[in-house]
Amino acid sequence: MKSLHDSHFDTVDVVSSRLADVDYICTRELATAVYLAFNLEKPILVEGPAGVGKTELAKSMATILDVPLIRLQCYEGLDESKALYEWKYGKQLLYTQLLKDKLAEMMQGAVGLAASIERLHGHDDLFFSEHFLEPRPLYQALHQERGCVLLIDEIDKSDPEFEAFLLEVLSDFQVSVPEIGTIVAKVKPLVFLTSNNTREMSDALKRRCLHLHIPFPEAKVERTILERRVPGLSQTLNRELVAFVQAVRAIDLKKQPSVSETIDWAKTLLLLNAEHLSLDLVRSTLNVFLKFEQDIASATEQLPALLAQARKDAELPLSSHHASHA
Amino acid sequence: MQATLEDFFKALRGSDIEVSLNAQIDAARATALVGWRERELLKSALGATLVKTVPDRAIFDQTFERFFHFDTFGTRPAGQPGASPAATPPPGEQPQSNAEGSGQGSGGPGGCQGSAGQALSQLLLAGDSAALSRRMQQAARDVGLTDIWFFTQKGYYTQKIQQAMGLDLLDREITEARRQTQAPQRVAELERARKHLFNEVRNFVERKLSMYGTAPTRELHDDFLQTQKLSNIDRRDFARMHEIVRKIARRLAERHARRKRREQRGQLDFRRTMRANAAYGGVMFETFWRSTKVERPRVVAICDVSGSVRQYARFLLLFLYSLDELVSEVQSFAFTNHLVDVSATFAALPVEQAVDRVMQAVGGSGTDYGQVLQDIDEQLMHRIDRRTTVLILGDARNNRGEAHAEIMRTLYGRARRVIWLNPEPVSFWGLGDSEMKRYAPYCHIARECNSLRHLERTLDELLRTNSASA
Repeated sequence: MKSLHDSHFDTVDVVSSRLADVDYICTRELATAVYLAFNLEKPILVEGPAGVGKTELAKSMATILDVPLIRLQCYEGLDESKALYEWKYGKQLLYTQLLKDKLAEMMQGAVGLAASIERLHGHDDLFFSEHFLEPRPLYQALHQERGCVLLIDEIDKSDPEFEAFLLEVLSDFQVSVPEIGTIVAKVKPLVFLTSNNTREMSDALKRRCLHLHIPFPEAKVERTILERRVPGLSQTLNRELVAFVQAVRAIDLKKQPSVSETIDWAKTLLLLNAEHLSLDLVRSTLNVFLKFEQDIASATEQLPALLAQARKDAELPLSSHHASHA
Repeated sequence: MQATLEDFFKALRGSDIEVSLNAQIDAARATALVGWRERELLKSALGATLVKTVPDRAIFDQTFERFFHFDTFGTRPAGQPGASPAATPPPGEQPQSNAEGSGQGSGGPGGCQGSAGQALSQLLLAGDSAALSRRMQQAARDVGLTDIWFFTQKGYYTQKIQQAMGLDLLDREITEARRQTQAPQRVAELERARKHLFNEVRNFVERKLSMYGTAPTRELHDDFLQTQKLSNIDRRDFARMHEIVRKIARRLAERHARRKRREQRGQLDFRRTMRANAAYGGVMFETFWRSTKVERPRVVAICDVSGSVRQYARFLLLFLYSLDELVSEVQSFAFTNHLVDVSATFAALPVEQAVDRVMQAVGGSGTDYGQVLQDIDEQLMHRIDRRTTVLILGDARNNRGEAHAEIMRTLYGRARRVIWLNPEPVSFWGLGDSEMKRYAPYCHIARECNSLRHLERTLDELLRTNSASA
């Protein structure tokens, strides 16, 4: 079986081409960060607006490396019993019941309390061994024979206490379980942490990670993404659509449309057999990529201007102009 | 390469980016992986390892461009652009020996060879900018230019670098040429070259000073600003002050953000307890108690902006503005002789403009604390309850008007806490037209506050006691 570190990335370009093979189009900056994370065996903290492909990046890396993806979704109140391990209390109880007879058998001949306890001590701590351990994502990640990609999603949603708890995992790829001891990763996993920046992460955490910020893509990159993700979309529609979305991002919105929303919209337009963006078409499908009532209202207001702008941008053969809108 | 990296870390610190030891090691390993050949790649690699936040990234990009810009030695006559930065080798990394082969000088009668390759005079007269740049970089490294701190050290380092480049030889040549009276033209040439050398080196030192010298001096300056009386601080330091106040505010916010839940002993959280103790067959080994979320303090801040506290007012408003960013619910008011709500102004404008606007609109002379207290009584009192902290910033100089201390008493009774920060030292309270002695009994905290240190301590206390006594 191939393990995580049997794969090699000799250069940054290998990373971006392998990512492109699984339809993940990225900038060189992103590829560099992933390349370093892989080769330096450091976790990587990925920030950026929602829907630019932070989670997707981890998934794609798991596919490329051909190892399992283990995902830990963070939320307020997440603690180690849900992230690392828990004892199988039910099983423990059941076994004590079942083994009661055995216990009596074992105790035969022991005179007095001290002798009984002495005899019990002769056995290992059966009930707090790995058989009764319920592994949670972090534990699983450290135990993968072939290594894995560990995705700690939306770390900013977790409590500061949990963040502190993660430090040991992130710096040494090990955790301490009081009853068992320290568990060290068999193969160091490739760790991605994602954050939507709802709160600032602690310095200690940031120090242990490489940092990567994924912004909204430039028009050229976004067009390539659409080509890959929505095959069948015509060139002209692709151009117009991307130019329009880029123009929309420039206006003041509560939530800007992200790449995943561009893809959704493209799929919608494909279903509607659209050839060009028209005023009516855009107005009726605006809710696919704008998620707030007031955003839709303010976009509708500026619709003719935005559309005109998009048409103009789409006609320009060079991407240099689009970049300025990104 | 190690030396170049270390210099780059210094330059980053000069731009106010913290570079931890850990990050330095990562950066070194990363550069070993990606190499120095490709500029953009190097930039991404260093960026990923050294920079941890998005705002820092922009600063990093700037510093990178500045640092990895090859410092060229301008040739006479000026106009020839330096080596293009596209394929820039990191500064000072060229082996010195390269200097020998390049550039043939128009060696005159006095041209003697320096120990490190060609005589300086030859290079200067030939206008061999590549060799000169290299020699300048090497000299800079030899004399430790990256340790430069103050602009006063400019002359010292300029001199040192010139000497390391071979100035003594050049001087000797000039003297010699003067003695040989038949060559006045050569004397003039050499002297022009010497002057040119001085200018170039001095410019070079200035550029380096702006890169490395800012961090330590800024630290000193910050320290100075924090302890200085607010009234003595120059207006041009306002932006820097705002930075410091913001930093303090952020630090406090991080420290206090965690204390948000508080257990109420005595009230069992039955569900959680049952669930957790299923492990022990329903025997309640572990208990969980109901907890309440501790509310963030609700603050009503009232600031005097009259003539008598004019110098302080700017900073008090700055403080209010920062408080507004930090504490969830702040209502800000300013006054001279009547109360004005400035929360909207703070929310709408960036700090500098907001402060100016308030000073213009509300400021003036003739403070009337009595009137203001009456305004508070009429407009605000109904909104002040056991959750509210009232923060008053002012000198309590009432121009001999009616004090209306009884309103302060009502305020004291209703609010959770009343805090009065007075820029005057305690010994001045109650002297002349100061009513502070009459107001102070109705304040939970009344204290002198005229430096940033004072402000920080008060803010810390404000947040701490609020969550503890909630």
